[in-house]
Amino acid sequence: MHTEAIDPPGLAWRRVSPRYVTVRLVGWALANLAAVVVLSLPLVLVLNGAWEWPPLWLAAAVPAAAFVLALWRLVLIPRQVRSIGYAEREDDLLIRRGIFFQRVLVVPYGRMQYVDIGAGPVERSLGLCTLKLHTASAGTSAEIPGLPAGEGARLREQLSARGEARLAGL
Amino acid sequence: MTAAGDSWRRVHPASPFVRGWVALAAMFFFFGRDAFERLLQGGPVIDERLAGRAPWLLLGGGTVLLLTVLGFVLSWYFTRYQVADGYVRVNTGFLFKQQRQARLDRVQAIDVVQPLLARIFGLAELRFEVADAGQSAVHLAYLRVDEARQLRATILARASGAVSGTPATAPGLAPAQQAAVAEEAPEHAVLTVPPSRLAGSLVLSEQSVVIVLGAVASVLLSAVTENRSFYFYLIPAGLGLAAAYWNSFNKGYNFTAAISPDGIRLRYGLLDTQAQTLPPGRIQAVRVSQPPLWRVFGWYRMQVNMAGYGTAGSNGEGSARTTLLPVGTLAEVFAMLSLVLPDPGTPDPARVFIAGLNGLAPAGGPGRSAAPAAPDDGGFVTTPRRARLLAPLGWRRNGFTATDTALLIRSGRWWRHLVLVPHQRTQSIALQQGPLARRFRVADLVLHTTAGPIAPRLIQAGLDEGRALLDAQAARARTARKRQTSEHWLDPADHLVHAPKEGPQHG
Repeated sequence: MHTEAIDPPGLAWRRVSPRYVTVRLVGWALANLAAVVVLSLPLVLVLNGAWEWPPLWLAAAVPAAAFVLALWRLVLIPRQVRSIGYAEREDDLLIRRGIFFQRVLVVPYGRMQYVDIGAGPVERSLGLCTLKLHTASAGTSAEIPGLPAGEGARLREQLSARGEARLAGL
Repeated sequence: MTAAGDSWRRVHPASPFVRGWVALAAMFFFFGRDAFERLLQGGPVIDERLAGRAPWLLLGGGTVLLLTVLGFVLSWYFTRYQVADGYVRVNTGFLFKQQRQARLDRVQAIDVVQPLLARIFGLAELRFEVADAGQSAVHLAYLRVDEARQLRATILARASGAVSGTPATAPGLAPAQQAAVAEEAPEHAVLTVPPSRLAGSLVLSEQSVVIVLGAVASVLLSAVTENRSFYFYLIPAGLGLAAAYWNSFNKGYNFTAAISPDGIRLRYGLLDTQAQTLPPGRIQAVRVSQPPLWRVFGWYRMQVNMAGYGTAGSNGEGSARTTLLPVGTLAEVFAMLSLVLPDPGTPDPARVFIAGLNGLAPAGGPGRSAAPAAPDDGGFVTTPRRARLLAPLGWRRNGFTATDTALLIRSGRWWRHLVLVPHQRTQSIALQQGPLARRFRVADLVLHTTAGPIAPRLIQAGLDEGRALLDAQAARARTARKRQTSEHWLDPADHLVHAPKEGPQHG
């Protein structure tokens, strides 16, 4: 299926660091390998003869399906990371993400209440950070993951300065 | 002590007893029940086995009572409040002290609440909301009713900038002077909801449909299975629904809306009464909705998102507070809309709003070529015809239009909704699209506002229209924010802001 980007044309998107793929891979490995291992338990038990009930084909099919799904997610990760982008405009910040489920978010600088920078252990070891914007609305889940630390600090300063200049009430 | 001025003041001495009456009642209940039961059985007041220890028991009970009352008195003594220098401050607690202050010009809403017991004693609670969706910023329980009203007038007068209007720069006026100015702003009644219509609206509401369906289903099940136990399931369900009906009736009874320079005043309640004041420009989003059965009488319901109220609480109080009109006719909806949005930003508001409430795009589909939509549809841009399979009923309803001051989003063929978001209240905007929507080249546009019952979402707009709207809406929100400069809505310097603005600016 042809994927047409939904973002407004004529924007120069800045992409996040390709190293962020590693962060996603670690997360993927932890989540999916654990799931596959847990789902394989019945198979092992059936093979040992400890369990009677799940027929062999079912006990094998479930972890196999989970494994295929996990592989599919693994293949998608680099594309998903490439699809994350942000663009600073005169008065607002645009954040986009997603391939199948796309989303473009516009956050006006004057609406920002505060800016967060966080970094998990994997991100930190790679010199990356995640920037979060908060507005008065809980629905604004504006997050730019996988920024190089320097770029994150620059962006935070930039956003704070611009937010102050354009600050509006609620 | 009569004027709500700059000095530190205390709440009414009876207030802890009114607040803690449940605790007192429970104590009397536990100590009194045994004695009372024995009296009824003709025995002595005190059990013979305990008679010897009676003084000790009385002493123990008395001590507990005394400690409770002492706690009440201390909590009263250490609760003090002050309105001065553009802040309202409240100090509470004697072991764990808490000092709280809130900026007056940040006020989002002020409520005067009277639960039944407080009403009997002529007391009222004052709630001062700022933009923090948690609990009320300032919570004064209880004051005498006239005192609470006067305090509300004082706070609103200072928050609006009306008081400091004479020499423009004066947080430090003499207290007497300021208190003298703080008259309650004159108000002008707009509408009252008659109890008969409220009852009718409840009978025809969604929950009635559920009741009828549930009753039919259980009767059918009983008949088919010849099992009587299904009737018993109806009893708790009936009790719960009766409570829900009673709650809605109690909260919506005698609903009165009025307008004053301080904002919109709402009053309602049968046993517990509540008076809300919503200052101008504090409303984040409005929704007008109509359940299918209400269409017979042409009734509508209006709800608002306010920054201080947060999402509807579990006790139904939150949902009452975010109700702008429990049930009203079209004319009343227009009256309320004119209060919420004084400048509709369109030359023909009636046509646009009626199209938003009841309109339907022509069945042929407006298509992208016929950009100026049919004249009877109020300029609403609806889901393109190619996506009609995604919403076979709603595609002619789901649409948007933008006036100079607000974005209007309508949806729902049977449950009709019209959501208004003033441009300067938009927080952030997102355009979203899933794989299915992509096949039909449509996308959803989500506007983020503060927490509340309304989550504005434009469903299945054409991709090009959605993209254009995302850009245009960001631009409109930007210009609208630039116009809004001051939080003091009555400041003389601020009158330009409320005057009509420059011409139309369509993206």
